[in-house]
Amino acid sequence: MGRKLLLEKAHVEGIRYYDVYRREGGYRSVEKALKSMTPDEVTEEVKKSGLRGRGGAGFPTGMKWSFLAKPEGVPRYLVVNADESEPGTFKDRYLMEFIPHILIEGIITSSYALGANSAYIYIRGEYAWIPDILEQAIAEAKNNGWLGKNILGTGYNLEVYVQRGGGAYICGEETALIESLEGKRGNPRIKPPFPAVKGLWDCPTVVNNVETIAAVVPIINNGGDDYAKIGVGRSTGTKLMSACGNINKPGVYEIDMTISVEEFIFSDEYCGGIANGKRLKACIPGGSSVPILPANLLLKTAKGEQRMMHYEGLSDGGFATGSMMGSGGFIVLDEDQCIVKHTYTLARFYRHESCGQCSPCREGTGWMEKILWRLENGQGKLSDIDLLVDIQSKIEGNTICPLGDAAAWPVAAAIRHFRDEFEWHVNNPKECLQRNYGLAHYADPIHVPTPA
Amino acid sequence: MPIITVYINGQKILTESGVTILEVCKANNIPMLTLCHLKGLHDIGACRLCLVEIEGVNRLLSGCTTQVADNMIIRTDTDRIKRYQRITVELFFAERNHVCAVCVANGNCELQQAGYAVGLDHIRYPFLYPECNVDTSHPWFVMDHNRCIMCTRCVRVCTQVEGAGNWGVMNRGHDVRIISDFNTPWGESITCTDCGKCVHACPTGAIWPKAVAQGQLTKYPEMIGELVEKRKLLQ
Repeated sequence: MGRKLLLEKAHVEGIRYYDVYRREGGYRSVEKALKSMTPDEVTEEVKKSGLRGRGGAGFPTGMKWSFLAKPEGVPRYLVVNADESEPGTFKDRYLMEFIPHILIEGIITSSYALGANSAYIYIRGEYAWIPDILEQAIAEAKNNGWLGKNILGTGYNLEVYVQRGGGAYICGEETALIESLEGKRGNPRIKPPFPAVKGLWDCPTVVNNVETIAAVVPIINNGGDDYAKIGVGRSTGTKLMSACGNINKPGVYEIDMTISVEEFIFSDEYCGGIANGKRLKACIPGGSSVPILPANLLLKTAKGEQRMMHYEGLSDGGFATGSMMGSGGFIVLDEDQCIVKHTYTLARFYRHESCGQCSPCREGTGWMEKILWRLENGQGKLSDIDLLVDIQSKIEGNTICPLGDAAAWPVAAAIRHFRDEFEWHVNNPKECLQRNYGLAHYADPIHVPTPA
Repeated sequence: MPIITVYINGQKILTESGVTILEVCKANNIPMLTLCHLKGLHDIGACRLCLVEIEGVNRLLSGCTTQVADNMIIRTDTDRIKRYQRITVELFFAERNHVCAVCVANGNCELQQAGYAVGLDHIRYPFLYPECNVDTSHPWFVMDHNRCIMCTRCVRVCTQVEGAGNWGVMNRGHDVRIISDFNTPWGESITCTDCGKCVHACPTGAIWPKAVAQGQLTKYPEMIGELVEKRKLLQ
């Protein structure tokens, strides 16, 4: 049983409401930070904890905070990125829906550290019911003196606003989010200047994921050193994983980054094994945009060691034989799933969500979708597979924002690891419409293609 | 401005700091393909044709938005860049319905020139053939979405130079379209001042004056940059 920090009190009845949350020890971190610590001490504590951004990139949060420009007379902002649009990721939704006060508490502490007097929660439009929950939590916090003017008599003022997005994946990218928050079309900006220098309304801004901000609460409560003790190496603390796909127990799990992937999938405490007694074929360990891994590379790294569930463990082997932690959307595919169809579904998503600003992404995502559709429907040619590799290499790294990379990686990885499945689709155009090239051998280290 | 040294394709160049790689290349007659760049407008780095390789940086960066730094080693002519440029131009042609033979801008089109520059002889991708409107509602000008490459030069010139804000962008991905006001016919626009700057800013034959025959369109995009310079003098 791993240690839990964020979801420790998740099953207490009525934890959504202020009274219960406060009774269970809520808002202690605000008291501690505002009354006994300076803003720099809070930042230092977060730095010590080794907390890394939970939104996908895994950038150290304390470092990000210390990059914030602090010119005189210019307001600073904290923006909470709750635009959780990555297919397969739903951890922030769970936090905001059931324990909204942990987010509010984290916002107050973080804003105090950053010297921000306004904080924004940018929540995706599809979470239609959650803004009401957050608004209620903010109102409760305000009525009890945790928000507004002169919090706890320390002279620190803070207002939290909830802003709903219009339902665009691209608005999860920090600069596009800022554009959208300003009321413009959500097109990513050119970096530099980074948001830490010129962000919201050209003022210094920090954009953090919901889980990152919530993790500040246990860091301040227990101290950064205590937090850094959990986990392995540079992957400290706990991480929320949203597991879905062909598993027995889909849901949000808090892991302390010391368990192995095998344990996470097969133990009853977490995913509970593959549904219907099927075999594991592949898995996307960190949300749809990270490379897919076949079962043999998922459970063991290329060196033959057991693959662990943390930032370094999942990215062991680079993109050739590894993947990424990403945002923690753990999508499991069993032996009945068709990788070509699966890749096509993802490509369709990225084509739909590309903002259309820069040409490689706008045109390339459409092309990948079209070629994958051809392959999936038995109209592909063998040269199409190389054409796909060509297009994805054109998109990857050449676009303004990371959406291009996110669209290119899954396609590249699917072809890298499951090329024979793509070729089977080309060579068996009629059969591929009726059944899947069930590759049970992906679970087997010895490479012997045996159609199901 | 302090003078710094940069190396472009092995050539040692002295330049002022605070300028972009594209400006340095232009001043030193180093060819660089551009489509969304237009002097006088803010660069957005959208077309990704001006990508350059910089030593020590893994990604390719767009020359129009990256500022030079001291001792920067820049390459604009590697095979990697040429390959990417070719794919980009190919995808531009495959994206909408570009038929040079019947286009007013034939022979005077920046996309066509880019095609010649990258040595485009055929396009490996099947054409998409999207359904695009031709808006002829304006008394003098025509907006032909079939030839639009979404460089948004018209959008930027309308907001940044003319100040009218008639043009905008709608939809996402492949379906992006330039719109007039809130997607009303151009002729019914209440913000358009009929100034014609977008006609000159457009790199292709997407916006053109009526009463121009095939291949007869002449444009003067440098006018935008000159206009901005003149306005600075007036201030």
